[in-house]
Amino acid sequence: MTDFIIFSVTTIAIWSVLGISLHLQFGLTGLVNFGQVLPFAVGAYGAGFAAVHGLPIWAGALIGCGLAPLIGVLVILPAGRLTQDYWALVTLGAGEIFRLAMLNISGIAGGVEGASVVRLGDRTLAMVLALVLLTGTALFAFRMDRSPLGRLLRVLREDETLAATLGRNPLRFQLVVTAVSWVMAGLAGVLYAHVTGYVSPSSFMVIETFVIWTAVVLGGPNTIAGVVLGTAVVQLTGVSTRFIAQWSHLPSELVANLRLAAFGAVLVLVFLFRPQGVIPEPKRRYNADSR
Amino acid sequence: MKLGFSVLAAVCAMVAFSALSPGAVRADEPPVSVGVIANLTGSDPKSSVDMVHGVEMAADALNAAGGVKGRKIALIVEDSEYRPQAGIEAATKLFDVNKVDAAIVFGGSSVSIPIAELAAPKGKILMNTSASSAKLGNYGGTLFSTLPLDDIVGQQVGFYAASKGAKTAAFIVPNNTFGTGLMESAAKAFEEKGGKVLRKIAYTEGQPDYRADLQALVALKPDAIISAGYGDDTRTAFKAARELGIDAPWYVGYPSIFSVENDAWMNGKLSGVDNGGLDSPMGQKLKAAAVAKYSAEPRPHFYYGYDAMMLLGLAMQKAGTGVAAIKAALPDVAKSYDGATGKIEWDARGQRINPPMDKFMFKDGKLQAIAN
Repeated sequence: MTDFIIFSVTTIAIWSVLGISLHLQFGLTGLVNFGQVLPFAVGAYGAGFAAVHGLPIWAGALIGCGLAPLIGVLVILPAGRLTQDYWALVTLGAGEIFRLAMLNISGIAGGVEGASVVRLGDRTLAMVLALVLLTGTALFAFRMDRSPLGRLLRVLREDETLAATLGRNPLRFQLVVTAVSWVMAGLAGVLYAHVTGYVSPSSFMVIETFVIWTAVVLGGPNTIAGVVLGTAVVQLTGVSTRFIAQWSHLPSELVANLRLAAFGAVLVLVFLFRPQGVIPEPKRRYNADSR
Repeated sequence: MKLGFSVLAAVCAMVAFSALSPGAVRADEPPVSVGVIANLTGSDPKSSVDMVHGVEMAADALNAAGGVKGRKIALIVEDSEYRPQAGIEAATKLFDVNKVDAAIVFGGSSVSIPIAELAAPKGKILMNTSASSAKLGNYGGTLFSTLPLDDIVGQQVGFYAASKGAKTAAFIVPNNTFGTGLMESAAKAFEEKGGKVLRKIAYTEGQPDYRADLQALVALKPDAIISAGYGDDTRTAFKAARELGIDAPWYVGYPSIFSVENDAWMNGKLSGVDNGGLDSPMGQKLKAAAVAKYSAEPRPHFYYGYDAMMLLGLAMQKAGTGVAAIKAALPDVAKSYDGATGKIEWDARGQRINPPMDKFMFKDGKLQAIAN
């Protein structure tokens, strides 16, 4: 049981990092990124590329985390002048383009066959690394949230024109947020690759993006605690329903579908009765006179 | 029918056990848990559910014959959702919470390989019933396959197409490990027999239309189309070929998992190489029992699942439930086991070699065996 708890904590921590990355983009800045799986995949493929080409682990991490923000900037530049609806479509498409490219270009990390990556045999170490990464990204996001930059990003989220009238270039700040948050997701991808020991295109389907979105929206996209809580709820719902399924003694295929239905029911209930998420963004008051 | 099968299955299991040490199930003994990981939701759940049914039927037969060393076999079935992450979660639960020594796995290589990565250092056993990537051979001592890998089936398909007089061929396969793996080995075999490969098309799964992919074949006019695939995608590919007026015969790997789109157009046009031995008396009985119990004819993975569970049960019966002992006993019991998919012969890695293969043709609305 201990190993299973360690595995669950590791999973929650990695997915929470992805959630915090999305929190910075969507919760704080208002960027609707439907391709959140892309920086995650880039990070993992950095590790896969290193493994296939005989490079050390740190080189794979460097490649993954270095390429993730670069690709983010490349995606955002042509989409920068578009409204958020189109931004969602562009990022969704970019994620799929990357996955299909990895599927068809075998020279990078095995193509359709995927690539074996050095697996972290010590599961406790994997959990500690995931928790360290989560703590680091949470602290960074917290500092960012509380900084003048964070306040400006909120203005950007509410009204880009208003931000522009304050003499700020919205695209510049969107680029900064994208680069920073995609590094986080890239790091999560590198760690994920070494936790599972294998990288393949099917690990980075669109559905993974929506698992992250579900967690973020469920917990509350505007708070870090909400994102972590949402991720824990989503992941633990998946895990706990396995035990309920086992004890129910119903036919396995029925139970499998009921599991997903139960998962969906939890989400629908939250969206109906708590649309702002479990932990909504607190209202903040600033005393202008004290400045 | 159901009762008849139960009796037959129990008799078969008892005969198999007779050389070992038969005994009645003891109520005071805890059951032996065996894990099953299958994509009961997600992509292509039908074959997966069939595999689970095959495992259930084998476990029932083993239990009816006295269980394993007097202990009942209890199955714990987990859904992999055809996602690596969910597959790892399922395997972690089975190994760490349920403490199973062995799990029977259905799923593509993208799910099976991460599970094997997890199982190998823990010393667990995996019975592979569906994945066919050559990479699976890297997990010798952990992963045993009841189905042959792509290279064997692909080679047979390539030879078969050449034997039908095709001089040129185009390949249409899904862009996944199964499709491309089978394509490469079939192409090699086809060329070995003097055939010429005109085009290799690996389509992205789940598309609503494949006319754009198949368009090139209109001008190429191949003598044959060599293919692999399953489910709705194959139906869509057939529809695209029919609408484009491509009339070449289709020679495929595993025709039983293809979905025919238009019976009249496909009549006599689809044939290929599939699992052999399923029309044996045992295969026929199993099929009848499956129809009676689940109200549908089982797909080939039903039989692979059945054989996987039977082999595990026999190994446990011979060596006890210690994982090292089971691993050591598996190759031995396989030697004397005449399974639902024929004799099971493993190479040193635990990968199936020399499997019986049958040829089938789609005729009069259904697949019919044409020759062995």
